[in-house]
Amino acid sequence: MVVLAMHMGNELLSIPMAVVTLVLAALLIAAAALAARKTLHPERLPLMGVMGAFVFAGQMINFTLPGMPGTSGHLGGGVLLAIILGPSAAIVTITAILVVQCLLFQDGGLLALGTNILNMGVVPCLLGWSLYRLLLGRAERAKSWRQYLATWMACVVGVTGGAALVPIEASLSGVLQVPMVKFLAVMVAVHLVIGFFEGLITFVVVAYLRQIRPAVLGLPSADAGGGKLSRGAVTASLLVTAVLLAGVITWFSSGSPDGLEWSYREHRYASGAKALGEPSHAVSAVNAWQAKWSLLPDYTKRSAPLGQTPAEANGAEGAPAEGGTSVAKAWTSLAGTLGTVVTLAILYLAAVLLRRRGRIVPEH
Amino acid sequence: MHHRHIDRFAQGDSPVHRLDARAKLIAVIAYSVILISFNRYAVVELVPLAVLPLAMLWFGGVPTWFALRRVLFLSPFILFVCILSPWYDRAPEVVSFGPWRCEIAGGWLTSADIAVKFTLGVLALTALTSTTRFPLLLEAMRRFGVPKMLLLELGFLYRYLFVLIDEAMRARRARDFRGAALAPVGRRLSAVGSIIASLFVRTLERSERIYMAMAARGYVGEWHGLNVLHFRPRDGAFLAGALLYLLLCRFPWLVHP
Repeated sequence: MVVLAMHMGNELLSIPMAVVTLVLAALLIAAAALAARKTLHPERLPLMGVMGAFVFAGQMINFTLPGMPGTSGHLGGGVLLAIILGPSAAIVTITAILVVQCLLFQDGGLLALGTNILNMGVVPCLLGWSLYRLLLGRAERAKSWRQYLATWMACVVGVTGGAALVPIEASLSGVLQVPMVKFLAVMVAVHLVIGFFEGLITFVVVAYLRQIRPAVLGLPSADAGGGKLSRGAVTASLLVTAVLLAGVITWFSSGSPDGLEWSYREHRYASGAKALGEPSHAVSAVNAWQAKWSLLPDYTKRSAPLGQTPAEANGAEGAPAEGGTSVAKAWTSLAGTLGTVVTLAILYLAAVLLRRRGRIVPEH
Repeated sequence: MHHRHIDRFAQGDSPVHRLDARAKLIAVIAYSVILISFNRYAVVELVPLAVLPLAMLWFGGVPTWFALRRVLFLSPFILFVCILSPWYDRAPEVVSFGPWRCEIAGGWLTSADIAVKFTLGVLALTALTSTTRFPLLLEAMRRFGVPKMLLLELGFLYRYLFVLIDEAMRARRARDFRGAALAPVGRRLSAVGSIIASLFVRTLERSERIYMAMAARGYVGEWHGLNVLHFRPRDGAFLAGALLYLLLCRFPWLVHP
C-alpha cells in the first residue's frame, strides 16, 4: 500500500491539463474555505490544521497485511476526515496535507497539485461523505452493521473514484503511451484493495470514537452496543471486494482496447534558423577565430581539423561535408551534455570552495 | 525520537538560503513549467536543466545524496509507469548521441523522458524546500494571494507535524514491543484502530488547548508572524538569471541560430 502512492507527478501532465486542473482546484478550494468558514466555529480553526498533522502521524501506524509478508498498509485518512469534519473542512485539510507532502516530502509535483487535490481531496471527500450520509441514515440510531457498511462503502468508492481519475488525466495529457483502459484497470484494481483496508481501519477508528467520544460523530451519548466488528461483516466485504476485483480484471482484459491508437507522433522542434543582421568587423573576426579553434563549433562535430575553418578544409581536401540533420542533432546533444557536465563540475568546485569558509548547516 | 531531521537543511544559512523565498518559488514553478513543456521523446535536451537544481543544492550546502535519496524513495510509482510504456509504443525511433546511433522503440524514449523529468522535478523541489524555511514559503504564498484559511491550516500542520509524528512513533514502538506482530489479524487491526483513534482524541484535545492559548494571546482572526520578506537586488538578479537560463534551455536556438 505504501509503495503505490497515487500522487500524480508533473512529468505525466501536459501544461494545458495542469493549468485546467489547477484553476479548477483553486476554485473548489476557495468555495470549500468559504463554506468551512461559515460552518466552523472559530474554536475549531486550529483543529483542521492539527488534523492534517494527525493524518500524517496516523499513517505512521502501519499494519502488516495478512498473507503478504513485506507489505504493510496504513490509513489514507481522507474519508475519515470527511466523516468527522464534514466535506468542506476536509477538503481544505487535505489540500494542506498535499501541499506539505509536495513541498516537504517532494511527493507529487508543484504543477500536479491541482490534479492531486481533485483526485485525493475533492473526489474522495465529496463521494465518500455523501455515500456515508446516504447509507448511515440517522446517525444516532445507526446499527453497528450499518455504520460498518457506510464507512466501508465510502472508503472503497471514494478512494477508487479518485484513483480512477489518474489514468484519465494522464491520457488526456498525452504524455503516457500506455492505453488508458489498461492503466485504468490496474489503478482501479489496486485501489479496490487499498480501499478495502482503508475501510476496515477507518471503521475501527470510527467505532472506537463512537464509544469514547460520540460527540465527535454527532451522537448524543456513548452507546455500549455499537462498534463491534463482526466476523461476518468483514467476510462479506472481503467477498464483495474479491468479486469486484475479478469483475474489473475480466472486463478490461477481454474488452480488447488495442483499437485505441495512441501513437500520435508529435513534431520534433522545427530547427529555428533565424536570419540575423550582418555582423560587425570585430564580431566576424572573433567568429572566424572561434570557427578555427573551438572543439565543437555550433554545438556540432568539427568538420575540419583544428586550426582551419570548414571552408578552408573543404577547399584543401575537397572532402564532402558530413550531412544529415540527425547526425548534426546528435552532435548537438553530445555538445549540450558535455557542456552541462563541465558547467556542473565548475559549479561544484565553486560550491566546495565556498563551503570551506564555514559550515552552512549548524551541527547539533 | 525527533523527526525534525526531515526538515533539517532548511534551517541552515548560505547564499541560497538568504535569497528571497518569492524569487526561489517563482524560479522553481517556472522550472517545472519548462520541464514539462518538452515533448515526450526529449531526453538529451533535458540534460542542461540539471544545472539549476544541482547548483542550488551545492551552494545551499545540501548534500547531493540527501536529494538523490528522496528521488529513490519516491520512484516506485513512476518506475511502474515507465516499465509499461515500451510495451505499447513500439514505433521505431533513431537515437543518435554524438558518434553513436541505434534504433529503439519510441516507448523507451518516453520512459527515459518521464524518469528524467521526475528526477529533475524532485531535485528542484528538494532544492527549494531544503534551502527555504517553511514559514518563509508560507509568507511568500501569502504575498501571492493564497487564501488565508489555507495558510493558517498549513502553518498549524507544519507546526504540529513533527510533534504528532513523534507521538505516533512512540505509540507504534510501544505496540511493537508488546509483540503485536505475533497477534492474529483481527487483534492487530483493532490495535491499529484504537491507537489511531486515541491519537485522534489526543489531537482533538490538543487543538482545544491551542485555541485557548491563541485566544489568551489575543487572537481575533488575524495571523501575525515575524517572517518578513525583503526583495533585494540580488534576488532580482537570481530570478532574472534563472529565467534567462530556463529560456535558453527551452529555446537553445536563441543563442546560436
